[in-house]
Amino acid sequence: MLDLLFAAAATPTPDASAGGFDLFSTILWPLKWLVELILVAWHAIFTFFGLGTNDGITWVLSIVGLVLVVRSALIPLFVKQIKSQRKMMEIAPELRKVQDKYRGKKDQLSREAMSRETMALYKKHGTTPVSGCLPLLVQMPIFLSLFYTLSDVKKHAEAGLGGVGLLNPELTLEFYDAKLFGVAPLHTSLMEAIQLQPAGWEATVTILVILVILMIGSQFMTQLQIISKNLSPEAKTGQAYQMQKIMLYVLPLAFIFSGVFFPLGVVIYWFISNLWTMGQQFLVIRNMPTPGSEAAKAREERLARKGKALDSQGKIVPIEKYEAEQQRLYEEAQRAKEQAPKRQQPVGKQRAKKQGNKPKPQNPPVDH
Amino acid sequence: MSSATLPASATGDAHFSASDILTAVPLLPRNAVLAVLHAYRATISHAYGDVCKYYPSCSAYAVGAVQQHGAVKGAALAAARIARCHPWAQGGIDDVRPREGFRHHLTPHGFVVPPRKD
Repeated sequence: MLDLLFAAAATPTPDASAGGFDLFSTILWPLKWLVELILVAWHAIFTFFGLGTNDGITWVLSIVGLVLVVRSALIPLFVKQIKSQRKMMEIAPELRKVQDKYRGKKDQLSREAMSRETMALYKKHGTTPVSGCLPLLVQMPIFLSLFYTLSDVKKHAEAGLGGVGLLNPELTLEFYDAKLFGVAPLHTSLMEAIQLQPAGWEATVTILVILVILMIGSQFMTQLQIISKNLSPEAKTGQAYQMQKIMLYVLPLAFIFSGVFFPLGVVIYWFISNLWTMGQQFLVIRNMPTPGSEAAKAREERLARKGKALDSQGKIVPIEKYEAEQQRLYEEAQRAKEQAPKRQQPVGKQRAKKQGNKPKPQNPPVDH
Repeated sequence: MSSATLPASATGDAHFSASDILTAVPLLPRNAVLAVLHAYRATISHAYGDVCKYYPSCSAYAVGAVQQHGAVKGAALAAARIARCHPWAQGGIDDVRPREGFRHHLTPHGFVVPPRKD
């Protein structure tokens, strides 16, 4: 799901490499250098283990290696998010208080006030359920760098040049010659294959179409997993949820268009990255689901079958311990109820009058 | 809670009238950026749900920043805000500093129009 933004950013740029001076390409220079370094390093590793230096599989595996490096580097961000999500349970009662205060109030000012109070609460406890906008956006430049590196490979190989860093002219040419399954060049996009119709283009188109479908399918599945399993009942009531459901089906259509312009190497990167996201998502939904969601219920059932349950802190404990804790909590609540002084139920003005009390008339009748 | 709502300070009840067409020309760049932000907030933002650590969310902050400070400075402020929105950040409430002497008016969708004379 992290990759959704890439399409939005990359789609308008398929022809960018055609222009002379390329602003994006210049800004991305350090990242391109890094992408080349990682690709060349993996390439060296695979050739060391006996894979052909200009075989398609060597370069495809190098791209897979790039995904592994990038996504592993992002694991700390992910772990941080999981940790703060666990802390969310502690502030749930206070959060519910804020939500109850604004229940049913849909106007802009109430919603703004509610959001502000919620955020202030998160800050007070030093925890938020979200990881922030940066992790979402940080992958985009990497993806764009790969996109540019691949388009540059085409340009540079034809001009006999090297890349910006370790991808020397020789390696550039090998990368350029690399063909998946010996037919589909990694730098070719669907658009190009159909327009130029080089030798073996039918196979290239078939491979690309299958990969684009897999790429979009994996994206869709990841989103569907979240929406169908990992949303709390409250999250399923808002207008945002309706929108999310619509986007689930609309976005894949948009990606078909971007899939047409992506070179094969970028499609492979995206697909592998999606697989990583799916796996990660699966683990999270299975082991740390959103409280109240269907995934959470499924987890409780799984635990119950093993004779275990979640205590009030969200830790896994044996069922006897859980029942003891529930009993204790119930007794505590009962005791608190008995000890609490009986509170006089507030009574409306009209009822008070009927009951015999005589409230002072606040608005004496006006004589005309 | 939804990031979909702009803070009240980023919307208004003004409308564009054709007689202001000349005075509105200098506002074109920021309105163009606002249109892009509007489209982003209506589509991609929704697909992600709430991810932002702040109120207003990064995209809502960008709307406010561009309204108040124009396309260039607004974009720079928004970029700085996104850089602040990382997993180790505290989060919380972080409003756009309003520009002193801001005299333009805002439409219900958050576009900027010249002030009316009357």
